Amino acid sequence: METPHNLSLPQSTAIAEIKDAAVHIKNLNYSFGRGDLCKQVLYDINLTLPRGQIVIMTGPSGSGKTTLLTLIGALRSAQEGSLRVLNQEIVGLSNRQLVEVRRNIGFIFQAHNLFESLTAAQNVEMAVELTGEFATKRDQATAILTQVGLKDRVDYKPDALSGGQKQRVAIARALVNQPRLILADEPTAALDKKSGRDVVTLMQKLAKEQGKTILMVTHDNRILDVADRIINLVDGRLESDETLDTFVTTHDPKVLDRRMFIL
Amino acid sequence: MKRTPLALLNLLHERTRLVVAIAGVAFAVLLIFMNLGFQGALLASTTIMYDQIDADIFLVSPQSLEISSTKAFPRERLYQVAGIEGVARVMPLYMEYLLWRNPDTRLSRAMFVFAINPQDPVFKMPELQTADAIAALQRPNTVFIDRRSRSEFGPQTTGLETEADRRRVTIGGQYTLGGGFAADGTLIMSDQNFRRFFAPRPLSLISMGLVQLVPGTNADQVVATMRTRLPPDVRVLTKADMIASDRQFWQENTAIGFIFGLGVAVSFIVGIVIVYQILYTDIRDHLREYATLKAMGYGSRYLFQIVLQESIILAILGYIPGLLISVALYDLTFRATQLPIAMNPGRILSVLLLTIFMCSVSGLVSVRRAVTADPADVF
Repeated sequence: METPHNLSLPQSTAIAEIKDAAVHIKNLNYSFGRGDLCKQVLYDINLTLPRGQIVIMTGPSGSGKTTLLTLIGALRSAQEGSLRVLNQEIVGLSNRQLVEVRRNIGFIFQAHNLFESLTAAQNVEMAVELTGEFATKRDQATAILTQVGLKDRVDYKPDALSGGQKQRVAIARALVNQPRLILADEPTAALDKKSGRDVVTLMQKLAKEQGKTILMVTHDNRILDVADRIINLVDGRLESDETLDTFVTTHDPKVLDRRMFIL
Repeated sequence: MKRTPLALLNLLHERTRLVVAIAGVAFAVLLIFMNLGFQGALLASTTIMYDQIDADIFLVSPQSLEISSTKAFPRERLYQVAGIEGVARVMPLYMEYLLWRNPDTRLSRAMFVFAINPQDPVFKMPELQTADAIAALQRPNTVFIDRRSRSEFGPQTTGLETEADRRRVTIGGQYTLGGGFAADGTLIMSDQNFRRFFAPRPLSLISMGLVQLVPGTNADQVVATMRTRLPPDVRVLTKADMIASDRQFWQENTAIGFIFGLGVAVSFIVGIVIVYQILYTDIRDHLREYATLKAMGYGSRYLFQIVLQESIILAILGYIPGLLISVALYDLTFRATQLPIAMNPGRILSVLLLTIFMCSVSGLVSVRRAVTADPADVF
């Protein structure tokens, strides 16, 4: 096994980037349960996600990827270490404060989780309403749905949309409030090859255009190429952190590496 | 533009479930209305006799419970108030139970007797107003019988002779009154006959004192004056207060209030359970969506509002058909039983509030599930 390395960034820019990073994690530990039932799932995580980067997190089932994602998303409260999201320390925040933090984060789930009773536009408007912009919510929803290519599906209910279209509505909902950080968990898992491809290309395009940070958990090898950086989590520890190019060479199918099976 | 009406849209989306929920609430509303309706009808029937008594103010002993269980008091009390300004006429009313023998089956049964001075216009029934009727009442051992007496009392033909408390008695005529809960059958006789049947009770002890006022007199004012003139061994009540006092007795001191109160309570619980089922299923089906809302940044308070809104919408949508069906069933019941069952604005409003309360309770019970939806579980 290789030793874990920390080669994310060239030294010169590192300090400035850290100050302005979307996510900055230091010595984060996390465990489920208490007392005898206490089970640690994350060990000493150190990770910095600068702005505008698309990061893919891989790792075997049970390695703690989703736990890390929910911690960053302020969906769980961390107790140990430091976790700065969008320049705010969220370790030790109350539930009410965590809810506030979440409003600046876009979530994309494996399932689309759209309300069947609402149209595509209304589902997106539910997100706009959080900002209190009731007057323009319809326009904002239509604009973002147009961007994801659903201009003519605005008033359709999820029942009448395909899997890929539903996931695009979910992406529109996550993006409509211009969050600076987007967290996605297996966004392509429920989609066929082409729809999956379209969805990540769309995310990549929006991230690049608007300088968003995307952290995506995926097992889907077909979409690794959109990443600027790939991190690998094994048994709760950050096992590797590489640029796409390094990842591709070390994971070349011709060079049969043991780590191939971990992925 | 307003907030997306998520509660309403969620309910409308599942049409079948919505119809079931509305039917459930309507059913509970219907049960509540029927229980209140029957209770109101029975209470009204207990006091129906007062409608036919032509008096504005009533004097009764403080120990009297209701019209059929009165305690006698001195007739002087009635004469003491006769001179007060505004009083047109005072009339004694005597009441007792009498064992009436059915001439066919020869079985005796308790009959409720009103005794009046035949010259006094105590009752409004048209049958008693004719000179012939007054003459008949004045004949010894002659009584008028209520057509609404139970059939067990036997035939009611004029001239029929039977036995009552070991005296021969002749039916002199009929009238229509109805004894309600208090009496299975009623008779009217003269005070002189009352003296014969109920000796040794003297006519100087009356069961109820009736006062007619000069038209246009303020009854409350006269009642107040009477109270200052009379010793505390007699209560003075307006007709409305007298009826309210009797109703209260039947409601609070007999099984009626309890039985129908229990009926309302059970209907209320049935309603809670039905609405809870519907809301709980709805929340369970939308748990991932609710959790997603929380991940997006909606607080528990918003989810709380959604569930509460859904329950109030169900309350109102279910109440309307419940009310309409109840009105139809009241009508049906009235036609079938002649019970004085009727809808009134107070009941319409109080059942509406009760329905909203019922659905809110269900909402509050089921909302916990939505509020505890953990957004971390959605991943």
